[in-house]
Amino acid sequence: MTDFDTGLSGGTDTAQRIDIPWEVILWNDPVSLISLVVRVLKKVFSYSQEKAEQLTMMVHNDGKAVVWTGDKETAAAYCVALHGYALGATIQPTR
Amino acid sequence: MSEPFRRSPSGIVVDLPDPLRTWLATMAEEAGRDAVDPGGAVHRRILGPIDPTADHDDPLIELQRQFGVEGSLSILIATAHATELNEEEAEQWIRALQLVLAATAARLSIMEEDDVAGLSREDAQTLTTLQALISLMIDALDA
Repeated sequence: MTDFDTGLSGGTDTAQRIDIPWEVILWNDPVSLISLVVRVLKKVFSYSQEKAEQLTMMVHNDGKAVVWTGDKETAAAYCVALHGYALGATIQPTR
Repeated sequence: MSEPFRRSPSGIVVDLPDPLRTWLATMAEEAGRDAVDPGGAVHRRILGPIDPTADHDDPLIELQRQFGVEGSLSILIATAHATELNEEEAEQWIRALQLVLAATAARLSIMEEDDVAGLSREDAQTLTTLQALISLMIDALDA
């Protein structure tokens, strides 16, 4: 019998890369309007008005906020979407 | 001047003076040129890496982002003198105005809110005008 190749048999490193959640960090910038950031968070992540406002104020007050956590590929796609509105965003693995 | 942007049944009516429209197109062209200069502050601000821990981003992601920037700016340039925008064009205007705003901030080395206070009157007016247009377009689109 031949083992079915799941594509996930690359050993511990591969499994760890897949399993570790990644964060999308949104950074404060001094020129983007709060109303713009709230609107983009609602549009990109489908967040409620309340959640988008809460995250925006965290970015504004703390300089940055984790706005989404999940798999790396989706995190990168969300990050690109935020960059489409010229918002400063990066991705990083959770610690 | 009446409302610069207002909703119509088929999209957003644009009522801006011609010199402002020409200025926006010029600013968008400059932002587009500076964004692809890999050594410049505008490039770092608009197309900097999304994963700072990696040597460089996935080339496909880099390409996707560059196309996105060029696409938004080119729509603003192409429709700068239009009297009406459809929904997608209006959304692209918000993206492009944001890109122009970010490019301007990068050129002026604005990193923190205190940096804005030290700007010349003309530079401060540029930022204020772009922010006002973004805010007004959001109001019109979400009306």
